[in-house]
Amino acid sequence: MTLVWSGLALGAVYALVAIGYNLVYLSSHTFNFAQAQLMMVGTFVAYTGLVVLRLPVVVVAILAIVVVALAAAIEERVAVRPVPDHQTQLVTTLGVATVLNGLTQLIWGGQPLTVPFFGSEDLVSLLGGRVYPVELVLIGLAVLLVVVLAWLANRSMLGIALIGMAEDRDATQLLGIDVRKIAFWVFAASGALAGALGLFVGPKTYAVATLGAALALKGFVALAIGGFGSLPGALVGGLAVGLVESLAARYLGAEFSNLAVFVLLLVVLMTRPTGLFGRLRERVV
Amino acid sequence: MTRRLAAAAVAAGAALVLAACGGGTEAAGGDSQKPYRVLVTGGVSAQGVLAANSGTSILSTKAGADVVNAAGGVGGRPVEVTVVDDAGDPTQALTRIREAINSDAKPDLVLMSGPSTISAAILPVLNQHDILSFCGAPTADSGDPGKFPLNFDLSSPADSVAAYVAEVKRRDYTSVGIIHGSSAYGVGIGNGWEKALTEAGVTVVGNEEYDVAALDMTPQLQSLQSRQPQALLVDGYGAPVGYLLQSKDRLGWSVPMMGDLSVSATSLVTNPPPNGVLGTPQVADLTMQVPKGAVKNQGAPPADEMVAAMTRIGPIPTSLLNAVNYDAVKLAAAAAADAGSTDPQAMAESVTKESVQEAAKTAVYSRYAFTPTSHASNALPTDYTFIPPSTLKDGRFGSGAGS
Repeated sequence: MTLVWSGLALGAVYALVAIGYNLVYLSSHTFNFAQAQLMMVGTFVAYTGLVVLRLPVVVVAILAIVVVALAAAIEERVAVRPVPDHQTQLVTTLGVATVLNGLTQLIWGGQPLTVPFFGSEDLVSLLGGRVYPVELVLIGLAVLLVVVLAWLANRSMLGIALIGMAEDRDATQLLGIDVRKIAFWVFAASGALAGALGLFVGPKTYAVATLGAALALKGFVALAIGGFGSLPGALVGGLAVGLVESLAARYLGAEFSNLAVFVLLLVVLMTRPTGLFGRLRERVV
Repeated sequence: MTRRLAAAAVAAGAALVLAACGGGTEAAGGDSQKPYRVLVTGGVSAQGVLAANSGTSILSTKAGADVVNAAGGVGGRPVEVTVVDDAGDPTQALTRIREAINSDAKPDLVLMSGPSTISAAILPVLNQHDILSFCGAPTADSGDPGKFPLNFDLSSPADSVAAYVAEVKRRDYTSVGIIHGSSAYGVGIGNGWEKALTEAGVTVVGNEEYDVAALDMTPQLQSLQSRQPQALLVDGYGAPVGYLLQSKDRLGWSVPMMGDLSVSATSLVTNPPPNGVLGTPQVADLTMQVPKGAVKNQGAPPADEMVAAMTRIGPIPTSLLNAVNYDAVKLAAAAAADAGSTDPQAMAESVTKESVQEAAKTAVYSRYAFTPTSHASNALPTDYTFIPPSTLKDGRFGSGAGS
């Protein structure tokens, strides 16, 4: 069971990255390659606030939210909005990811930095396995986020507007909704979310300049397995990737770990090309 | 007209002969006032750890030059150190080295701080221009005198493996597990451990690899745990070391861990919380392999002399693992004294003599055991020690837990 907990915790981190990808995708059909890097910046801000400046957790959370939301807002203005098509945005957001990788290394160095967890750091026994409290929080957060965001999507005006934008951006605009403004604020909100999550991801992964690259690919696989645009899909995809990765490394060998994840992706895409929870859109021609 | 041409040809020939004679005199080190130019490469403007490691490497070169100059220089010539900032980029390194070679101040000795990609880029050019060199980050063939007759390696995974075998035997372990990263170094050392320990009669219950980009090593450790080894040999650098310690803790597995040189170079294990895990239960079972010269009160007197010389110039940014260039300058001075010249070929021949390596009084390793057939470092197993994690002071580890 310890192995299952470890796989689920890892999967929760991938799911959180995939949820961030989805938020931006729903609002602007942009795949933000720098989402994992934004979360990485969040872990560094958390380290600076908690360890260097010794600020209270609440202040650090606000700091991380503001800093990373600002970084995401700048990214939207510089690398997304001026670029007309989504294919080119893949390149520009990848460029932002590279810049963030370099900047974090320049500012904080290449060694891993410990981000303390504000809760207990002692292992707990649960259902026959051992797990760190922060890992349980990560799993809980991933589930909670999906539930809350799904509820907001169906019950709030913003959520309904977002779904409309995901379905048909032009039609939504004709209904008088400022789609550019919403896309900008959702982009910034995905950054704010990544910043806040830095406080929870950092204690598991450390703040390290290679974290973004490590999370970006698996987050994407989680998204593709779950289905682009589906929040429950991001959760299921992330947890599936984490579990398959851990179980394959244990029973097949580490060299088969990544291979097993991509076999899973292939199988899912061959049977359901839109992902487990993705919806096929019919187009009138 | 024919006579004039013949006279001109004779004059030109004579000039060539004289020039050749002059060159020969210079190569033999006749001009004792001419500086002995040592060029050291390093990623001064690189990012993070590489820059810090280069800082120690360059500092050690300057300290070596100070000590050697105080004793009369290299072959009577005062040592002059030039630093080349390669930014950790082989292309930049190659360009800067070519510029230096083609300038009026051609280097007599080149010291490479690493990484090995830079050594691989530079070595053929140094070979082409017959320049003596010492390499802190070896390549697969940099220690082969057949390919690079004037280069000597200052580190080698092979000699650290031999030290592991000696330590495992000393602790009476009969079975061990191995876990290593998927980098070229990690795979090399993991396979080296397995081969050497098996040959020494120790049972290797498992040799597990992890992806260096992975965030959790619980599966690999659980696999090894199920086979109940008496000790765990660990390779890792940076964040993976932390993930390994977390994963072992999660499994509740209490087994002695023997970390390699790269584990000791990870700041997580040399810093107490909140910056690291030093002094926490996670590192209670860990010992790390380090050269004795990098441990307080365990190195020979030359190590104290090196630290004193380095701290006179400035603070030492990282562990003395990166200070082998100090030894390089001292080896060059001892070789020139033995050869009676600063001719690179003669010095290279002298470096392979045991008497010269003894006379050099090197600090990080007491001997590199170069021979005419191998220019790879062959440091003695007794030059290494296994210590619990500790803080670094003046580049040296304390000899006790957490000290």
